[in-house]
Amino acid sequence: MESGPGVIAACYGAGALLSLLLARWSGRLALVVSHLAAAAGAAAGLALSLGLLLGEPGRTLIRPLPNFFPFAKLSLLIDGLSAYFLLVVSVVAVAAAIYGPAYLRAHSPDAGSTRQAAQGFALNVFLGCMAFLCCAGDALTFLFCWEGMTLASYVLVVSDDRDGENARAGLLYMVMAHGGTALLLVAFLALTERAGAFDFAALRAAAAGLDGPTRTTLFFLALGGFATKAGVVPLHVWLPRAHPAAPSHVSALMSGVMLKVAIYGLLRFTFDLLAPVAGPLPFSWGWTVLFVGTTSAVLGVLYALQQHDLKRLLAFHSVENIGIILIGVGLAMILWRQSTGGALATVALTAALLHTVNHAAFKGLLFLGAGSVLSRTHLRNIEELGGLARRMPWTAGLFLLGAVAISALPPLNGFVSEWLTFQALLGGATRFHGPAGLVIVFSAAMLALTGGLAAACFAKAFGVTFLGRPRTSQAEHATEAPPSMIAGMLWLGALCVALGVAPGYAMRLLDAPTAALLHGPGASAVVTARGPLVLSTALTPSGTNGTAISMTMVAALLIALSAIALLLRRGVRRAPQRVAPTWTCGMTPTARFDYTATAFAKPLRLVFAALYHPRREVTRETAGTPYVVGRIHYAGEIVDLAETHIYHRVEREISALSQLIRARSTGRIYGYIGFVLAALFVALLLLGVAY
Amino acid sequence: MIGDRPLALVLVEMILLVLVGPLVTGTIQKMKARLQCRQGAGVFQPYRDLAKLFRKGTVQADTTSGFFWSIPVLVLAATVAAGALVPVIRAGPPAFPLGDAVMLLGLLALARFLTAVGALDAGGAFGGMGASREMTIAPLVEPVLMMVVFSTAVAAGTTELGALAAHRGTSWFLAWRAADFLGFAAMLVLLPAETGRIPVDNPDTHLELTMLHEGMLLEHSGPGFGCMALASHTRQIVTLSLVSALFFPIGPAGGAAGLLLGAGAFAVKILVLATFLALVESSYAKLRLFRVPQYLGVGFVCALTALALRIL
Repeated sequence: MESGPGVIAACYGAGALLSLLLARWSGRLALVVSHLAAAAGAAAGLALSLGLLLGEPGRTLIRPLPNFFPFAKLSLLIDGLSAYFLLVVSVVAVAAAIYGPAYLRAHSPDAGSTRQAAQGFALNVFLGCMAFLCCAGDALTFLFCWEGMTLASYVLVVSDDRDGENARAGLLYMVMAHGGTALLLVAFLALTERAGAFDFAALRAAAAGLDGPTRTTLFFLALGGFATKAGVVPLHVWLPRAHPAAPSHVSALMSGVMLKVAIYGLLRFTFDLLAPVAGPLPFSWGWTVLFVGTTSAVLGVLYALQQHDLKRLLAFHSVENIGIILIGVGLAMILWRQSTGGALATVALTAALLHTVNHAAFKGLLFLGAGSVLSRTHLRNIEELGGLARRMPWTAGLFLLGAVAISALPPLNGFVSEWLTFQALLGGATRFHGPAGLVIVFSAAMLALTGGLAAACFAKAFGVTFLGRPRTSQAEHATEAPPSMIAGMLWLGALCVALGVAPGYAMRLLDAPTAALLHGPGASAVVTARGPLVLSTALTPSGTNGTAISMTMVAALLIALSAIALLLRRGVRRAPQRVAPTWTCGMTPTARFDYTATAFAKPLRLVFAALYHPRREVTRETAGTPYVVGRIHYAGEIVDLAETHIYHRVEREISALSQLIRARSTGRIYGYIGFVLAALFVALLLLGVAY
Repeated sequence: MIGDRPLALVLVEMILLVLVGPLVTGTIQKMKARLQCRQGAGVFQPYRDLAKLFRKGTVQADTTSGFFWSIPVLVLAATVAAGALVPVIRAGPPAFPLGDAVMLLGLLALARFLTAVGALDAGGAFGGMGASREMTIAPLVEPVLMMVVFSTAVAAGTTELGALAAHRGTSWFLAWRAADFLGFAAMLVLLPAETGRIPVDNPDTHLELTMLHEGMLLEHSGPGFGCMALASHTRQIVTLSLVSALFFPIGPAGGAAGLLLGAGAFAVKILVLATFLALVESSYAKLRLFRVPQYLGVGFVCALTALALRIL
């Protein structure tokens, strides 16, 4: 275990270097070898994190790093929280590394060896940075990995070069990510400057001496930085563009894992580094996080509903699920160290952390499923697909599994973490009487709305993509994905089932992170009271009452009832079975009779019109007389409120400002030097006055 | 909270719900017929229909995938499993934890999701239309239902239905407060939506302009359709039992006499709620689809006020 971090670094490093070296001979070989190395690194990460999480409680692994910089000591510090997020990273990384080579080969068969080398290199750097970001023991390592993660994922986003759209998505991603990084830099450097050192222990000591307003300012800076990376509304606009642009297994990693790394940063910075020494967190922190979480959850799923690009739809669902995670995190912030809410804070944090791994599993699975469809049909618009269930049965089945899981339906894992979130919210509502309780309950109602809308969205996404008749010849001639891609999906699908049916065992993994973060009882002390197969919580402060469910029993009941229903379904006697065309009122059935995704989502588009501002344009071409319509052209779109109300406005202001500056920009170098000098003079003057 | 309702009793109650489900539908149909001055079919007609369906052959659409065949099986299993989670003749949590109100709503949602997926499989416009409308109404009903459940759960500190029922005790009618009245009003608003009846849906029609749930069943036939129909009956009685467990449960009572009393009281409660459904169906017209959100909004306001009264 001591050598764990070294092995992980060696695997990812070797993968990155070999990818560059081998590409001279064969791009394909480089691709396979780099993905194999990534799989090995992920497996090492899995082993290390499981060893730490299931080993003796409270164990922390500290490894010094070589001194790259004279002014800072670098180190790795792996406690329960780090190990847990390393687990999340590794779990999806295994699947992505198995899935990757076959996908890239099928998706872009004519890719040059340079691109393949870059993809293998960037994938390993990306994974390595995420793994070591979770294990960082000082601010410098953290920020370096953070930047490495951003740059490597940018390379991957633009590597799938089909059109200018990818480049634009990559640029937007770059700008947003660095805006967030700038906020983080300020937050971290403010602490390191006070501490005079970079390691987390020194930062913690420095934070203890902060006064209230400074502490809260730093928190909001960090929240802004992490929320940009996590894609929280209204900072989400880059996410639905950048995630779909990457190769699908990288999309799975970006949506399933990279967003979670931001959550890790938020948890580490808030609970571990910045929290006051004693007493609850400031009032504004938790409520803000709860509010943005609820908003993200509802808006994320509402915008997902109106997307017809399969990968974009999934990306919007990541916004939703990050919102659900933040609801748990916010509640934990509110309840932490309250006089009677201690155990409840653990329940809330457990819900958030469990949803983190659950979302990684099912979102990874869904993106890989979408990738299979994409690599076989080269289509992302679900309106052009259809009928794939008969042609790609494994992909369809696994996608349906992921759809049930993400819609928070029992007996799969999405339900478990949402159930825990509901329990925590209900407990919070009983704990806080008055308006605060009402806000929490309203948040619970919004969570229920989110679950229902997610189910609607995935009924649409699955139904239109995989069922009915194929709408294009690409969809008609699709074939099943190769075994290695299915293997990657199976691994995540099995996780969804296991985490759903026996969630009590997952509580054991959550003990170390919750105890490390909240310094209170571990997850399994407050959530499972009776064995690993039962989930139970105590909601009231006295702990007399509570709710217990057993996912295992419900799953067993479902299986038994399905067996009985199967007998009924067969019928009591042998009766004739006939296959006939679908009834379409006497006309010849074609794919045009299938309900489209636009039509499916139309009622909800009208119900929530206030949020969508839907626009539609119908042009009729008449043939001679107005009574004979030759052709109808329909175009419809919805707007993202954040985009129109915030980003476009900012864009207009910036353009207006640039117009003003343009008058002064003469093109002569002396003029510019003069501007720089003037700016320097003003800055020195201001700083001189300030100190 | 460990209860004293043995697992055998839970299973017996579940089977009872499945067996009585069609009778409730038959009773509502009969009442409706009488209200419309018709003789109507007997109350056992749904059983005859089911028996007929399970003996018939099937016609399956040629575009369907492998999922289509198994959809009725899974829908029926999920709905019946939800039936195991409501206390019927005796309050109190089961001896071994099974599921709570959130799980019950989740299982019903699972059944609905699978039904909608099955409807899209045949590739006809009717199935898609039904699925789209059903999945529009469902997300609006669910949060309100959840709030009604929470309005009682906040008082009891648990979402386990048996424990909720036991918390109200036997003298619930003396302890009803304003929050209970409002919560019950919200539930009455939701009841037609959740059971697929007028003014939200019309179970008697196969006209594409008016139907929601029935539209999704058009392509099922024979035993498959039988399973879906049985699931609809079960869903209806499970919803009615949920209302009675939340608002007027029979308290814990031991012994055979207590069980008999519980069964008798259950019959009366279901009959009262069924009469309500029949009266509403006979005296109102179906709402336009886009009026339904406003209708459900009334329920939302009631539920929110109930919760506010409970928490403040």
